[in-house]
Amino acid sequence: MRKVALLGNPDTKRTDYFRQAAKKASLPICFVDWNDWGKQWGGSPETELFLKIDPPLWKSCSLGELDSLVGDYKRKLDKLAGMADTYKIQYFNHPLAIAGLLDKRACKKKLCQKGLPVTESLETEGEEEPNLLSVEMLLERMEKCDIHQVFIKPVIGSGAAGVSAFRWQPRSGKMVLYTCSLEQEGIGLVNTKRLRRFTEPEQIVSLLNRLLNLDCIVERWYAKEEYQGYSYDLRAVVQEDNVDFLLARLSKGPITNLHLNNHPMEAGMLGLPASVLDSVEEICRKAMECFTGLRSAGIDILLERGSLKPRIIEMNAQGDLIYQDIYHRNVIYSHQAQIMKAWLSGSGYLGAEK
Amino acid sequence: MKEGLENGKKVKKYTYSYEEYEEQGKGPDSRVEDILADPDFPGLTGIIIGDWGDAWEDGCQTMLDNIVANKEQFSHIEELFIGDMDYEECEVSWIIQGDYSKLWAAMPQLKALTIKGSTDLELGEICHEGLESLTIICGGLPVSVLRSIQGAKLPQLKKLLLYIGVEDYGFDGDADTIKELLEKADFPNLTYLGIVDSEIQDDIAKIVLESKFMGQIHTLDLSNGTLTDKGGELLLEQLPSYPNIKKLDVHYHYLSDDMAGKLEGLPIEVDISEKNEPDEYRGEIYMNAMLTE
Repeated sequence: MRKVALLGNPDTKRTDYFRQAAKKASLPICFVDWNDWGKQWGGSPETELFLKIDPPLWKSCSLGELDSLVGDYKRKLDKLAGMADTYKIQYFNHPLAIAGLLDKRACKKKLCQKGLPVTESLETEGEEEPNLLSVEMLLERMEKCDIHQVFIKPVIGSGAAGVSAFRWQPRSGKMVLYTCSLEQEGIGLVNTKRLRRFTEPEQIVSLLNRLLNLDCIVERWYAKEEYQGYSYDLRAVVQEDNVDFLLARLSKGPITNLHLNNHPMEAGMLGLPASVLDSVEEICRKAMECFTGLRSAGIDILLERGSLKPRIIEMNAQGDLIYQDIYHRNVIYSHQAQIMKAWLSGSGYLGAEK
Repeated sequence: MKEGLENGKKVKKYTYSYEEYEEQGKGPDSRVEDILADPDFPGLTGIIIGDWGDAWEDGCQTMLDNIVANKEQFSHIEELFIGDMDYEECEVSWIIQGDYSKLWAAMPQLKALTIKGSTDLELGEICHEGLESLTIICGGLPVSVLRSIQGAKLPQLKKLLLYIGVEDYGFDGDADTIKELLEKADFPNLTYLGIVDSEIQDDIAKIVLESKFMGQIHTLDLSNGTLTDKGGELLLEQLPSYPNIKKLDVHYHYLSDDMAGKLEGLPIEVDISEKNEPDEYRGEIYMNAMLTE
């Protein structure tokens, strides 16, 4: 007997719109709640299961807790991967692939090894991990690389958590920091989901020191292409070799994450040359090939201003929730439902289970 | 490079990409040479110069000097914008501008000049028979620049748009500086007056309403600042006395809904978009102009 299951959170847009797509495809779904997943698991060794794993919900916005939250999530993913020893289980995205993409440094390393264009990292080859920098070390590194504007991102986490854009003039000492992180008494750094701009070096150094304690990756800040006064990057949702959705994330600030109330728009409206879109699609397909067990991912790509050269910023194995899709055609979840239905009927291509 | 057609004019933007300035060594020294080498250039009526690479270290003076040195080849250019960069490329306050004093005589055909950034900006003695539009976008306009504009001989000037900004980023004047500017400036053909992006926008509204230009302009632009109901009330009271005014632009403001509604009720075109709410922190109220860096 074959069953399709979704491990997720009740009453969320992810669950609701995935269920709608499944219903439309006449696909029966067993829902398993993350809050109770250990107990709810009623599988038997005879049942063949096809499982989609959505991310658990995190209530804390403290950046200091990111490590433990992600650590706990990784342990759960390990456990889910181990279930394949006991049960006949196929994964929509393999738990180890999901875990692999939680680490921005490791993800980028893999993409670089395959020769894919990524945002340039200021880290040196073979550097010991974790990479705990002080502000002095960061400035030294920026000067050595002759790079005066960088993005600093905690190596783990999503939703713009801790992501900061930093600009520095070595000669004058002027600094600017754009960040959603703020020091909150008794909690430490929190993700406020509101972009702020700091210019006082003392305040910036204090914030950066705290941020850099989290193990961060540091990348060159490229000027992103602009559209009607907004800069933007792209979120491609790629599923089984196909770019199912390409979204432009427009912003009036340097951080374009969708959690920051930026302006999302279908990328088709940007009027980009076909050659650029082809190149984005090709990079996306090649990026997916870098990761075993990955059937679906959200890939963030910037286009360098002027040249429109695409570079991968990061990948997320659970980056499939796009409001502009679910409220319109629900293409992404419908495609997922089709993949699952094909599996259920025994004709499914399970290419991601390498 | 980007280009576009507007009102039958052909304007092209010249920006160096990251690869061009980081890997090919392009910069302000090569900018004018590259523009002159562009086959499109002879057919243009306007040029926009965007990022020239590390604009916070290398200013635009070389470009200005090279335009002046090649003035005959620029003699068809009627619109010039220097420094069209956004936060992705350079902080506005970090853009190093230059001295424009030789440009006035070198480009007699120029009709519109837009400058972004005010660091090291000097306009010198302005004397130009044909300039119709002058716009300066910055986070803080120095008094020295305002004084140049105040004494400018611009008989054809139709549009004056000045971002006043804040003290931290170069505005070293006060409401009286703006009052003096409007009292002493002589622009007989001015139809668009914009004194915008100020944290004393209410005071500026009062000064502008008392100025001699109120009887001649058709557009009043007090946008992008901290305009509150205090300034709104003055506009509401006094604008009906000026039937010549056809448009009021106060977008990006701190007006109440009630006041915004009343202003919208004026029998003219009103842009009252982008309402802002003041921030309160430890009992203090904070309001910011749109561009304050």
